[in-house]
Amino acid sequence: MKRWLLVLLLLAVPVAAQTVGNQPPPDYSPKVFEIAKKLRCPVCRGESAAESNAGVTQEMRRQIAEMLKEGKSEDEIIQYFVDRYTNWILYEPPKKGLGLVVWLAPVLGLLIFGLGFYAYTRAAAQREAAMVDVDDAEIARVEAELEERSRSGGKS
Amino acid sequence: MIPAAVGDVSLVVAVLFSLLGLLAAVAAWYSRDARYIQMAKRAALVSFLGTLAAFAALEWALLSDDFSVIYVASNSTRANPTWVKFATLWAALEGSILLWALFQTLYTWLAGRRMRDYWISPVALGTLFVIQLFFLVNVLFVINPFIVLPHPPSDGPGPNPLLQNHWMMAVHPILMYLGFVGLSVPFAYAIAAMWTRRYQTWVTETKWWLIIAWGFLTAAIYAGGWWSYEVLGWGGYWGWDPVENASFIPWLLATAFLHTAMVQERRGLFRTWNFALVTLAFAATVFGTFLTRSGVIESVHAFAGGPVGPIFLSFLLVILAVGFGLLGRVSSEVRDVGAVQPLSREGLLLFGALVLVTMAFVVILGTLFPLLVEAFNGAKVSVGAPFFNQLFVPLGYLLLLLMGLGPVLPWRRAEPETLRVVVWMAIALVLGTALGLVVGWTLWVSLTVGFVLFNLVALGWLSFGPALRRARATGASPLKTFFSQFAHSHRRFGGYTVHLGVIVAALAISFSQSYRLDVQKTLDIGQKWNVVGRDIVVHKLRLVREPYRDSVVADVEVSGLGVAHPRLNYYRSSQTPFASPAVTYTWLKDYYLVLQAFDQEKGSWVTLRLVVTPLVLWLWISAGIIIFGTLLILWPTAAPVAGSEVSREAAI
Repeated sequence: MKRWLLVLLLLAVPVAAQTVGNQPPPDYSPKVFEIAKKLRCPVCRGESAAESNAGVTQEMRRQIAEMLKEGKSEDEIIQYFVDRYTNWILYEPPKKGLGLVVWLAPVLGLLIFGLGFYAYTRAAAQREAAMVDVDDAEIARVEAELEERSRSGGKS
Repeated sequence: MIPAAVGDVSLVVAVLFSLLGLLAAVAAWYSRDARYIQMAKRAALVSFLGTLAAFAALEWALLSDDFSVIYVASNSTRANPTWVKFATLWAALEGSILLWALFQTLYTWLAGRRMRDYWISPVALGTLFVIQLFFLVNVLFVINPFIVLPHPPSDGPGPNPLLQNHWMMAVHPILMYLGFVGLSVPFAYAIAAMWTRRYQTWVTETKWWLIIAWGFLTAAIYAGGWWSYEVLGWGGYWGWDPVENASFIPWLLATAFLHTAMVQERRGLFRTWNFALVTLAFAATVFGTFLTRSGVIESVHAFAGGPVGPIFLSFLLVILAVGFGLLGRVSSEVRDVGAVQPLSREGLLLFGALVLVTMAFVVILGTLFPLLVEAFNGAKVSVGAPFFNQLFVPLGYLLLLLMGLGPVLPWRRAEPETLRVVVWMAIALVLGTALGLVVGWTLWVSLTVGFVLFNLVALGWLSFGPALRRARATGASPLKTFFSQFAHSHRRFGGYTVHLGVIVAALAISFSQSYRLDVQKTLDIGQKWNVVGRDIVVHKLRLVREPYRDSVVADVEVSGLGVAHPRLNYYRSSQTPFASPAVTYTWLKDYYLVLQAFDQEKGSWVTLRLVVTPLVLWLWISAGIIIFGTLLILWPTAAPVAGSEVSREAAI
């Protein structure tokens, strides 16, 4: 079984997905990943703590598992990370202050574009309503008059 | 050396002929001489061939390991398999912009071939030439991949390991660029229509281009989702990453435009809005590239930075300025006339477009929000998957409701006979939701099941209702009648098929997001792990050596499903190993195994992460259904009138 040592020597790189000292990482229940998904990985770009395999997130998952074992609730665990990293660690922006703007985005969007669409369709409908209905007799009269005019125009 | 020279010369040819084409288009506009349009079309072909030669030259350099070429030296490596070397062309900024330019010149040439109108053609062609010049000039002068190194290295670092981990990476960017570039044709026609004051017909003229671009975008988004599922190792297909969002925004806007274009075609309404939508959809593709390449926003996909951020931002602003500048005049001239009943086909099409545009607005605001907040008060916030998921659930239901109802209602106003099927749809909605709640699914999943049934009743009625009624009247076999109707109006059925695909996707997304199990466990070799009703045993841990990487592979047996091989890949270019997950698909659940860690001294234990997700296979099936539906729409009509314009139009 020296083979494995050989692998490491050949690679000569630190194996990041591995805890120090060749200790197996602890077992995690689904709850650990559920909580980790709500936290961002502090060193990655656009990955949550459940997705990333960076050292920091390995540690975060371990801490979550430990706190769960101690009987802490999900809110307490999340608060622990917020205390350490500020609200930035949460993938959900706070639902107060400036954060409220982004939470209201769908309402804002529906309102802004909805009003725009409404104004447009109303104007189009009014234009249709404003068009005068002309009955057949009127059309016949106008056509006759036009014909009369073109004939007299042709003569002169 | 030689490939670099060939590449540079080809690019110069492409740029010169694009300029010539642009000049010819301008001359055609002022002189009204058709010969200039012929000249512009030929110039489009030459600049396409020039760009193709540049593309071939870069592939030649990559495949022949010519490390004197800067792009090869910084992105390729000798030991890589041939397909990876080939795909390395679009693994970094310079090459992918070259690929974009190649597709742009191809579309310009193809679109030019179909232009007949001597009013619209000069402006539309001119717009396309300006767009392709932007990309070509960038490739030639700003991010030239053909720069020759005075002291070439003997080998390079290779592309980002994430990009060599799966063959999908050779396909996904190509589809994405074909979709992005495809939107430039409707945009160019829109500019031409606004310029020449021909506000109505451009929608019909560019309909096929729009559907082609939409099909490629859809396929690309699915391909990207599949790639992240199979490669990134966390068992998800969509993470609301800024770059994923950047590809989603044009899709949402193009989908909205696809539907409002029908309103314009049918009723001559919504003309100003359509100009705005197509401008925004095309601008969104450039916006996406700006986000990816500028480093303004952090993303897992930001594979390469570069100096092009400000350049793309300026290009984006020019597009918006030109589009909306012309639109200012249009909106003072276009006076659409016609009432829209809320409960009519066009009424619901507009509501649907409203929801889609709102979705795009949410994605844009959510993606840019961290930037805005930081600029506003220096605070740092994150906006990620939990946020988008919560907001897209209600919007998604709204869309499912409109999607079912819209096609059932006739144009102009609701008729009494459609009321009967709407009652049936409502019953299906209630029954489906109740059934879900009785089975014990969550409210949201149950509601999705209800809406899926709601839509299925609508689609069933639309597809089979006419055939049944006709068969009853003529006494012919209903099945035969259905097939003859299907063959006769395959475009209508193509639309229904796409909707069916969306419904299947909604079901798959709802279940996979709600019932996902994610666990991690360390197992000794041979130890049995009983989880979710299966026994999982690790039989062996092996080392696999390949020229370009070393891998540690675990042979993991999932009882009843055979042996899976999750692995850790060690690439020469990377300090950290890359986990390559093993996915075992079944009709109802996926078993997704990731090798997290292993005993490096004795090889006696293995740490596995297991993700069990329901119905993911159906998400990939829905992709097939949607693509099939899109092809049905694009398929040429069965009995073309010989040599007519219609058959040729359909063939493109």
